[in-house]
Amino acid sequence: MTRFLAKRLAGMLLVLGLVSLMSFAVIELVPGDPTAAFADASATPEQMARLRHELGLDLPLPQRMADWYGRLLHADLGQSILLRRSVTDAILERLPVTLSLAGIALVAALAAGVAAGMVAAAYHKRWPDQVVMTAALFGLSVPEFWLGLMLILLFAVRLGAFPTGGFVPIEQDPAAWARSIALPAAALAAVQVGFIARMTRAAVLDVLHQDFMRTADAKGLSRADIMLRHGLPNALVPILTVAGIVTGSLLGNAVIIEQVFSIPGVGRLVVGGILSRDYPVIQGGLLFLAAIYLMMNLVVDVLYAVVDPRIRLE
Amino acid sequence: MQRRTFGTAAIGAAILAAAPRMARAQQRRGGEVVIAIVQAPPSLDAHITSAQVSRNITLHIFETLYARDENARPVPELATGVTISPDGKTYVFPIRQDVKFHNGKALDAQDVVASLERYRKLGASATLLAAIDTVKASGPNEVTVTLKAPQSTFLDNLSSPRAPIAIYPASEAAKAANQIDYIGTGPYRFVEYKPDSHVRLARYDGYRLNPAASGRDGLAGKKEVFLDSVVFRFMPEAGARNAAFQAGEVHFLETVDAEVAKRLGADKRNAIYKALPFGFQVIKFNHALGATGDLNFRLAVQSALDMEEIMALSFPDIYQMDGSWVYPGSPFHTAAGTEKYNKPDPAAAKALLAKSGYKGEKLTFITDPLRSDLDTATLVQERLKDIGVMVEVSVADWPTVSKIGFTPTGWNFWTHGFGIEPYEGPASVMLPWVNGLSQQKPDPEIDRLYAALNAELDEAKKKAIFAQFQARLYDQAIAMKAGNYGYFQAATARLKNFAPYRIPRMWGVWLEQA
Repeated sequence: MTRFLAKRLAGMLLVLGLVSLMSFAVIELVPGDPTAAFADASATPEQMARLRHELGLDLPLPQRMADWYGRLLHADLGQSILLRRSVTDAILERLPVTLSLAGIALVAALAAGVAAGMVAAAYHKRWPDQVVMTAALFGLSVPEFWLGLMLILLFAVRLGAFPTGGFVPIEQDPAAWARSIALPAAALAAVQVGFIARMTRAAVLDVLHQDFMRTADAKGLSRADIMLRHGLPNALVPILTVAGIVTGSLLGNAVIIEQVFSIPGVGRLVVGGILSRDYPVIQGGLLFLAAIYLMMNLVVDVLYAVVDPRIRLE
Repeated sequence: MQRRTFGTAAIGAAILAAAPRMARAQQRRGGEVVIAIVQAPPSLDAHITSAQVSRNITLHIFETLYARDENARPVPELATGVTISPDGKTYVFPIRQDVKFHNGKALDAQDVVASLERYRKLGASATLLAAIDTVKASGPNEVTVTLKAPQSTFLDNLSSPRAPIAIYPASEAAKAANQIDYIGTGPYRFVEYKPDSHVRLARYDGYRLNPAASGRDGLAGKKEVFLDSVVFRFMPEAGARNAAFQAGEVHFLETVDAEVAKRLGADKRNAIYKALPFGFQVIKFNHALGATGDLNFRLAVQSALDMEEIMALSFPDIYQMDGSWVYPGSPFHTAAGTEKYNKPDPAAAKALLAKSGYKGEKLTFITDPLRSDLDTATLVQERLKDIGVMVEVSVADWPTVSKIGFTPTGWNFWTHGFGIEPYEGPASVMLPWVNGLSQQKPDPEIDRLYAALNAELDEAKKKAIFAQFQARLYDQAIAMKAGNYGYFQAATARLKNFAPYRIPRMWGVWLEQA
């Protein structure tokens, strides 16, 4: 296990190194820089040069690269050009928002998706199976931003049951927090439910044909007992894989949902950074999201061994 | 005795007359207005950014020595006036003595000097003050500015809202860019900035109305505030903004599409306003690259396009056809050169194209993804195809396009709005074409006219110079103007006395009780 973790952590560092290099290269290749936010078309070449100097944009490429990696070695993601704070602080301020959004969406999507997948498997080729699979296909085909807007129109504008957007911190007002996070989490989860349901159905159907399932049936166990005590635990490994993939998608899709619902999360921070060419925010944000993604994958790999003792991590 | 009785009676009558007005003002007080804005401001340090979204907020917090009135003319705001020396080089500004900053400090000449000096060093439009030689406090409440040479547009520049030359306390003006505390003299004081969420301002109860002003007047005048607070909420998604407005969570939308305006306007709870003109749509040529460097080619394009078709498609129901390069109502508005404006003539276009050096190569039209800009680019592409010109439309985000568009390669056409320039006046409209900044190849005649305008103190002669400039734009097809556009704005009908202007002014307005 220790050897496995050491190997995976080394791999993660390598991937993070590549991500940091790519985020640096992308910024170099895309035209435009943060001076656009500060100087207008009337700025003279001297003013532009002064501004570029103040923002450190006139430094030679190797020096900027050395600065970037030097800071990274000290776990410092740099200073945002526009936000008047360090990138680390900016991310940490917004992290609870994104994690609560993605976390709630993950739990909701797993609960609904696994339940729907098991029902579909249990009633294979019968009407519940067809209903679940049709709904899953619909969920998979709907873009999050459209679903988000529809939820806003129905539940916020028509029914007035939820706010149309914005975010209330949980420590400020737990009830208002729950109302502010409900619609975006639902929009985020809905698309993943279909995916999880389909994968769960396939995994459980595989298990249903195993000998031990027939034995359980022959013992006279109820259908629910068979599914929950024998079917689900044995289908957990593929479901865990799906959960890992879904977590990554949720973090990616949260960027869009945060825009639609005006939620101040990490995704919106990165998008704002890209649009204003706030280089440290783009670089730091991308690196941070990549690190979270890698960590989630590692957690899923470790969980494989927990749920299935036959798997040995080496 | 009789005189005293009369005096007492007069005072009593005045109090009685004023009482209903004061009571009415008291009744109007209160409430919070939430304004949805499309993006977060890059900064609230008014000096360092010319972003419209920033000035929408900062012009509620800060004030300037001179500001623009309803007709965009410079009028005193924190100054009580100005005395200009006969040689046009020395400006003496007496400063108002009744003004206090939001931190309670009284405004004095040192604050003004420090603010102007800071702007000269790091202002986003520091060119506005480039003519200044020295700025000195010539008294506790008097500032003397000496110019290197006479500049007829100096007061225009000083009052420009582009990146406002706001007056900060000297202690704040000593700070680096983007590091100040937001302390101004304006009718609202800064309360909080929640990143990616909102900016909240509250009424500044220590605000003194400008005694020289008679009412709300552009960005100057009396700024009487009835609202308790204003929230500028950052909402990048148009659908979400509209939904929040319909749900009553947002009270004002700075811009909505024609279709949405119609839908919202059908509901009596909403009021729709037209901010027109707000800008004009410009199509630029790159004179330094390929066919667009050829005069006959540019004239061919000018003849090929139906500008009304472009405006009707790009700004449905909210445009004006006007060929002048300043807004109607400006003293500089002129018809010079406009005989070539919006005169589509495909046959003449083809003849001019034949005389040009165009050999069928593909040309590049760059644009940002703003729907109106994209529509303009697409229509120009189609109409030029009709006369045999092949155009490729290249779409990128604003930072990318604006970077490419100020270089001599990578583009032939570029379209976007000119909003603040025509509002500021003729010098600002001319400046983008000076030294070939926008067209990438200097035009000595435009450079000469710009210098002449700046040096000319006679209004009639300045108008003649601007007319020559405008005629040259058309004769040389330096660039093209499609027309004036505006914005539909939506507000709750409870918001009373609102009038659209360059920023959504939250003074002089009140919320009717629900």
